[in-house]
Amino acid sequence: MIDTTPRFTVDGTRTAPTNWDSPDMRKRIARRYAAERRFKYLGMGAVILSAAFLAFLLYVMIGNGLSGFQRTEVALDVDFPALTGGTGAAALTGPSAENTAASLDLPGVVSVAVEAQYGETEVPIFSSGAWQIVQKRLLEDPALIEARQTMWLPASSELDIAAKEGGSAQAERLLAALRAGDAVQTGFNSSFLTGSDATDPAQAGIWSAFKGSLMTMLVTVILAFPIGVLAALYLEEYAPKNRWTDLIEVSINNLAAVPSIIFGLLGLVVFLNWFNMPRSAAIVGGLTLALMTMPIIVIAGRNAIKSVPPSIREAALGIGASPIQVVFHHVLPLALPGILTGTIIGMARALGETAPLLLIGMRAFIPTPPGGLTDPSTVLPVQIYLWSDEVNRGFVEKTSAAIIVLLLFLLSMNALAIYLRNKFETRW
Amino acid sequence: MTDDNRRNEQLARIARNNMGEAAADVPSEPIGLADPKISARGVNVFYGAKQAIKDVSIDVGMDNVVAFIGPSGCGKSTFLRTLNRMNDTIPIARVEGDIRLDGEDIYSPKMDVVQLRARVGMVFQKPNPFPKSIYDNVAYGPRIHGLASGKAELDEIVERSLQRAGLWNEVSDRLSDSGTALSGGQQQRLCIARAIAVDPEVILMDEPCSALDPIATAKIEELIHALRGQYAIVIVTHNMQQAARVSQRTAFFHLGTLVEYGKTSEIFTNPREEKTKDYITGRYG
Repeated sequence: MIDTTPRFTVDGTRTAPTNWDSPDMRKRIARRYAAERRFKYLGMGAVILSAAFLAFLLYVMIGNGLSGFQRTEVALDVDFPALTGGTGAAALTGPSAENTAASLDLPGVVSVAVEAQYGETEVPIFSSGAWQIVQKRLLEDPALIEARQTMWLPASSELDIAAKEGGSAQAERLLAALRAGDAVQTGFNSSFLTGSDATDPAQAGIWSAFKGSLMTMLVTVILAFPIGVLAALYLEEYAPKNRWTDLIEVSINNLAAVPSIIFGLLGLVVFLNWFNMPRSAAIVGGLTLALMTMPIIVIAGRNAIKSVPPSIREAALGIGASPIQVVFHHVLPLALPGILTGTIIGMARALGETAPLLLIGMRAFIPTPPGGLTDPSTVLPVQIYLWSDEVNRGFVEKTSAAIIVLLLFLLSMNALAIYLRNKFETRW
Repeated sequence: MTDDNRRNEQLARIARNNMGEAAADVPSEPIGLADPKISARGVNVFYGAKQAIKDVSIDVGMDNVVAFIGPSGCGKSTFLRTLNRMNDTIPIARVEGDIRLDGEDIYSPKMDVVQLRARVGMVFQKPNPFPKSIYDNVAYGPRIHGLASGKAELDEIVERSLQRAGLWNEVSDRLSDSGTALSGGQQQRLCIARAIAVDPEVILMDEPCSALDPIATAKIEELIHALRGQYAIVIVTHNMQQAARVSQRTAFFHLGTLVEYGKTSEIFTNPREEKTKDYITGRYG
């Protein structure tokens, strides 16, 4: 039923009642519904599009990268007693084991064994680092040296490519011959996770870059988190609101938007040239990234601190808490989840950063994992950048595999952040 | 006028009932108590260039509840907050004049603000328990001031404070629950217990019932009755019935000045000032 009682305007004259059923009104309602629907579909479309991009990225990365965690292995018969002049197991035990192993000329032993078994080949069968694996296995189990052994050793890069995706004609021919003799298998490439950068993709590993990233992040978080949080607390809780603090606020906001390569130049000038700190070191990388991360933490921290209700501050002040007690007993615990979220966003950005680290020399070829903060090291994104630049096709899958490792690193960092945030979150 | 008169009489009756015997003790001269707990003389408060309080002088005794009434924006809350220096937290606020607690100038540089606020507790308009357990809410003050020497003593302070705030029976079996999970009225009593726990001499209440329903309000008012005599209590309220019910003395503020201060029964039955009469009869405000 439509209400048809007459209405009155302010001055008392009658007006016609609103006709909610008129064609104009219906058209208006239809338009409103259409607008709501359009908006909903647009939003859904945006979500689906980004999900599709993400799915495509993951598909490509995993598709390319998974084979990087595998390697082709070829069987090799090594007649140790004949080739090593009958060295006993006892010589390979005790403190002098390494010296003995070095005196055995294992590279020579391996090449003799290869030639004896497979003869002269057009492409090398084994990775040039195969003898290192033989050495490692001998040191682990000296008894091996007293008998003839069949060892599975990593294939050369050419053969590996041929096995995985098809390589040169010679490599394909060799592979077919080896397969016919049942001398090829696919194994888990543990040396990719434990090894360091190498010129031979069959030997290249991610561990030194991973360790470098870990150490760099450690330096960054140790510096940027406390300094950023203290700056945020001071600016929000203590600093008088005047022109100077306004200026500082604007500067911090601008600093957060400065391109990262400029922080790299800053690090180069300040840390390397003025303070003469070691080039390529994790500590310099960490310092540079800390400079870059600090403004992000300050901004996130200030927002989190601002969102703590003032009534809590008043309550604490009202029963005689000193300003520092108000901050550390009430404001900081309530702001911590927000601060942590901001910190992790900053850290994630720092973890993926390449440009500033190139400028402070972290793009060097580092064949050994860094032992300390001042040792030359590289980081995951730089390693990815370096490998993507290599001519050797064997590095393509390594690059993708390294990206997977980097993404997993990021994912675990975010998981930690979510865990910490839930842990510290106060339920109201 | 008849309406006004009826209303007036009603308020006066409430006030008389509530005074009881205490009424006889209250001197009729408002300013200049023999032994004031708080004594303010010539107080001016400025927010930047704007003057919020103009030349207010008032004494608060130990043995009675003082109500501040007045229309919104008249400065009663501002004045209340000068009594424990909560206005210090507002950078542009400036206080002039002389406010003494037991004869000690609270704005002198020698006064320790933290200690002052422990001696002059405050209950706010909106219940604001900490997002911690009920126990921790009450124990927080004693902890930071080192009032308890051990767990047992702290337990005792918490129990005593909750009992005085009339909350013990409702929460004794769930002290570890969050204080924010209580109902609004319980939260406000928790805040009163929290203020009591540091053993203050004065309790300032800034419209403590404005966010509460009538039943919770009645409980708080009962509580104020029970606490009278143990603490000097100052309460800001918009509700004139409430002022009549809980206070023995009433101060009427208007546009930053103290218009009238006297026995609650007198203010409501026989106000000296025309403005007071207009306000309590509901002509404005």
